[in-house]
Amino acid sequence: NISRKLTPVVLKIIKHYQEEGQGSEVVQGVLLGLVVDDRLEITNCFPFPQHTEDDADFDEVQYQMEMMRSLRHVNIDHLHVGWYQSTYYGSFVSRALLDSQFSYQHAIEESVVLIYDPIKTAQGSLSLKAYRLTPKLMEICKEKDFTPEGLKKANIGFEHMFEEVPIVIKNSHLINVLMWELEDKSTVADKHELLNLSSSNHLEKSLQLLMDRVDDMSQDIVKYNTYSRNLSKQQQQKHQYLQRRQQENAQRQSRGEPPLPEEDINKMFKPPQPPPRMDTLLIAGQINNYCQNVKEFTSQNLGKLFMAEALQGHN
Amino acid sequence: MSRFFATGSDSESEESSSADEITPKAPGTTFKQSLLLSDDEEDTKRVVRSAKDKRFEELTNLIKTIRNAMKIRDMAKCLEEFEQLCRAFLKSKNIVDKEGVPPFYIRLLADLEDYLNQLWEDKEGKKKMNKNNAKALSTLRQKIRKYNRDYETEIAAYKENPQDSADEEEEKEPEESGSSSDSDEEAGEEGVSAKAFLKKKPEVTPDASKFLKSAKGSGDESSSSDDDVDDEDWGSDSVDSGSESSDDGEGKSASLAVVFLKKTQGPEKAEKKIAKKKKPKKKERLEEEAEEEGGEEVEGGWEKVKGGVPLVKEKPKMFAKGTEINTAVVVKKLNEILQARGKKGTDRAAQIELFHALAAIAAENNLGQGILVKIKFNIIASLYDYNPNLAAFMKADMWKKCLDCINELLDILFENNNIFIGENIAEDSENLGISDQPFRVRGCMLTLVERMDEEFTKIMQNTDPHSQEYVDNLKDEGRVCGIIDRLLSYLENKGSTEEICRIYLRRIMHTYYKFDYKAHRRSLGLQGESKSEQDQEESEGEDSAVIMDRLCKFIYAKDRTDRIRTCAILCHIYHHALHSRWYQARDLMLMSHLQDNIQHADPPVQILYNRTMVQLGICAFRQGMIKDAHNALLDIQSSGRAKELLGQGLLMRNMQERNAEQEKIEKRRQVPFHMHINLELLECVYLVSAMLLEIPYMAAHEFDARRRMISKQFHHQLRVGERQPLLGPPESMREHVVAASKAMKMGDWRTCHSFIINEKMNSKVWDLFPETLRVREMLVRKIQEESLRTYLFTYSSVYDSISMETLSDMFELEIPTVHSIISKMIINEELMASLDQPTQTVVMHRTEPTSLQNMALQLAEKLGSLVENNERVFDLKQGVYGGYFNRDQKGGYQQKQGYQRDQKGGYQQKQGGYQRGGYRNQNQSNY
Repeated sequence: NISRKLTPVVLKIIKHYQEEGQGSEVVQGVLLGLVVDDRLEITNCFPFPQHTEDDADFDEVQYQMEMMRSLRHVNIDHLHVGWYQSTYYGSFVSRALLDSQFSYQHAIEESVVLIYDPIKTAQGSLSLKAYRLTPKLMEICKEKDFTPEGLKKANIGFEHMFEEVPIVIKNSHLINVLMWELEDKSTVADKHELLNLSSSNHLEKSLQLLMDRVDDMSQDIVKYNTYSRNLSKQQQQKHQYLQRRQQENAQRQSRGEPPLPEEDINKMFKPPQPPPRMDTLLIAGQINNYCQNVKEFTSQNLGKLFMAEALQGHN
Repeated sequence: MSRFFATGSDSESEESSSADEITPKAPGTTFKQSLLLSDDEEDTKRVVRSAKDKRFEELTNLIKTIRNAMKIRDMAKCLEEFEQLCRAFLKSKNIVDKEGVPPFYIRLLADLEDYLNQLWEDKEGKKKMNKNNAKALSTLRQKIRKYNRDYETEIAAYKENPQDSADEEEEKEPEESGSSSDSDEEAGEEGVSAKAFLKKKPEVTPDASKFLKSAKGSGDESSSSDDDVDDEDWGSDSVDSGSESSDDGEGKSASLAVVFLKKTQGPEKAEKKIAKKKKPKKKERLEEEAEEEGGEEVEGGWEKVKGGVPLVKEKPKMFAKGTEINTAVVVKKLNEILQARGKKGTDRAAQIELFHALAAIAAENNLGQGILVKIKFNIIASLYDYNPNLAAFMKADMWKKCLDCINELLDILFENNNIFIGENIAEDSENLGISDQPFRVRGCMLTLVERMDEEFTKIMQNTDPHSQEYVDNLKDEGRVCGIIDRLLSYLENKGSTEEICRIYLRRIMHTYYKFDYKAHRRSLGLQGESKSEQDQEESEGEDSAVIMDRLCKFIYAKDRTDRIRTCAILCHIYHHALHSRWYQARDLMLMSHLQDNIQHADPPVQILYNRTMVQLGICAFRQGMIKDAHNALLDIQSSGRAKELLGQGLLMRNMQERNAEQEKIEKRRQVPFHMHINLELLECVYLVSAMLLEIPYMAAHEFDARRRMISKQFHHQLRVGERQPLLGPPESMREHVVAASKAMKMGDWRTCHSFIINEKMNSKVWDLFPETLRVREMLVRKIQEESLRTYLFTYSSVYDSISMETLSDMFELEIPTVHSIISKMIINEELMASLDQPTQTVVMHRTEPTSLQNMALQLAEKLGSLVENNERVFDLKQGVYGGYFNRDQKGGYQQKQGYQRDQKGGYQQKQGGYQRGGYRNQNQSNY
């Protein structure tokens, strides 16, 4: 299942972010395209308008439908095949993303989410990733069972939540011409961004975000810890109670009395509410993501540093 | 009234009746009272002897009802009333003991017995009586027989002299008729002796009219009744009452009183005359009435009297004409007046007037200073009493009167060395008369002065501090101080140690908060020019510091009550702090150990403690002890209730938490405005101290995960500043400090300086200090130093080395100072660097981790804890391994149930999780 993209889509996404997104703000939009053989071809996209709190009555679905109808009128691919979202230092693994991707994938089987990292892109390497939920996760989300047991049964870990779909970007000739033209126009300084050695800024940010997630993670673990402790305590109590009851019954039996009726043990020992584990999973996924990012970044930078050293040595 | 009986003025029917007219009615409405008070001395007389009057009035009323019952032969009622009468008589026992059995009482007993006997004899009538009455008759007869045995002699005397009795009865009846208007008709029906009846009629009208005062006739009538007495007695009276004014109107008005008084000494003469003239008099009066009905002048005259000269009139009323005015009499009179004190119907203003009059009499008759002192005491006491409500404050003029009185009293005391005053001198061991022995007077000067001082505070509390009135009132503070000083010197000679301690404390309380400008200038050597020192005349020649020292040390040594000492220490510290004697103040504070147990003290002392702490903090700031200043002010400022803690105002938000009563109490605790500590100054000092401490600290611990803030409030201000969407030039004091802090964070001391010290801040804060220049210099210096430190903390990672000369230029500090600051930082391991002496440079060691490294360290720490937590979960699983499996096997069904429940709650859970996520994100951003 390879997704193939045409450059206009990429350029449109980048343009969208440049125009509307800033800092940690996220921009989103709809992907349009069609399935060809085993590939998903994304041929067009349009952004969701930024809307503020005060026009809450804005109907997004209505807008999408309108948009797609209009596109069909001008004979452009209008089939809904997913959505895209920008990200800030790779922090996209969240509940919101999971939920919306689930609903997309539930409704349109082939849909993907494209994650665009503007910061990395600004540093010189286009970062565009397509994700889909794994069938396992789809299963779980369908059943909405996020208890420890449910997740355990599904045998899902953070690494199996999303599957990345390889991307092939295809340019039309016209686009290639445009690109050449743009490259000609761009100033020289921009090209040397690639060789920028100062890395700490990016790393710091990543670390900070990573730390936050780690904090959340430990909080969740503490929560889970108390839960399991409570549970085991209760199990013990229940066990004791059952044993006592058994003994009593045995005694009564020996005396020829009828055994005591079985009471609803669940009523007596209400099991504590299990904490939802999905968040933890997501956080773990996010941490993993950050780590990947940092790793990638550092390896790139190390290379650059070595190169710089070699250059210096040469001089 | 009783006095007339006591003196045996049986036949002064008219006068006593007119006196009685008022007595029962006077305690009624205040309107009537005020109306009467203006000119009717009868009332005051009644006021004076109310205890006696009340009893006798009760008796007479009862007697009247008995007589009425006798008339209609209602024996049951008679019996009932008689029993009541006996009880009432018993109650008035001590008065009767003093005055003798009242004749009207005896008369009733005798009459009743006769009457009963008569009834008893009358078999016919007895048969007609109903059962109840007959029974009552027999019991009553037995009772009265038994009862009368105790009064045999009196009754015998009465029976011997029935003439007397008739007279008495005459007197009696009008009395009754007058005493209550509703009994008038009854009395009329009674049909006593014709004489009395006749007499009564004219009496009744004046009564009513007099009280209502609406009818024109009233004035006429009263004056006419005066007049007819005048006709008889005027001549002699006017001669006797020499002190009376010669004014005709006055004389006339006074005449009534005069007649009364006259009667007491020369009863026979008047008696006879009246007895003779009774009938003609009546006629005369009617004529006069008719005459004067038209004449307005009399009315006018009467009016004049009313508003005119109560004082003059009182005098004759006070003492009977010709009575030898001696100490005993005056004391008796004084006690009489005092008895009315605190009673409901008593007019307090009138009472004060009475005391004044009495004092005048005493002075006039040269009764000696003893009695005068006693009266003065009472005047002051009644001045204090004038306001029934303790919470309300005295009127300023009343209070001033009080001041005058106290001053006069002190004059007397200073002039006469032989007067002993003490609150423990018993009332009967007083020696007021002139004799060889020194005077002994009961009373406590100190209490009076203390009360006066408290009233002063109350007045100040209740005056709008921004009005001219406040300034005017405040001018009296000098007088208060003067009085306290005088009393102080008096008590130093005569008072006990305790009293001295108390008055010392008063003196201290009036001294500690005032800045001694004179001493300040003297210390600066600027003695030359003459300054306005009126307010410090009392400390002429002596610095307030010396005074404070002397007074406080005496208290420390001699005081036995903890409270006075505590207050004295606090005031002493405050005074030290106010005058920038920081070390003395601090040492005293530390030595007193007040910090440990101040929370057990009462609120006013706690307020004083808070004030002292604040003053101490401000003093430390002036001395450049920033840390001490911060610590001293921290408690007060961090609570955010500085206003309340210093007793300088109530917080609005507490309104619903406390009820009106508490609020009143709290209001009473407030410190008067002129003693307030400027709250803005306080806050500014605190914030600037916090800034000087916090900014370098923040710079030094930028990456410390466990960094604690020194001052929460300061951080709060910073955050508020950050939250501003649009940052204009600073306006308020707080904004200035925040802006300065920001500049300091960058090590930009010049900007910081310009924010802290400028026109606005000068006028708002710095000019309030007595040594403005010195404080500002200190402040600049501190800003430079701390900016240097901040700069080094913040940018040391950028430098490999930095020349001290450059630093010295940058911060305009001398090289040695820079050197010392950097050395200190190196020693304290705040700065990883070393000094290179030959080149005068600081060489950085660059051992401080970079921010990225710091971050990585933090992350490692966090991951460590995460792993730990994770392991704990694992441990738990391992521990209950068996249980876990058990559960799985046994609880298959239960699990399913739980599963369903989960599904149900799934949506909600999801939402919750979502929200939680959002919340966490918020946290992140805050983080």
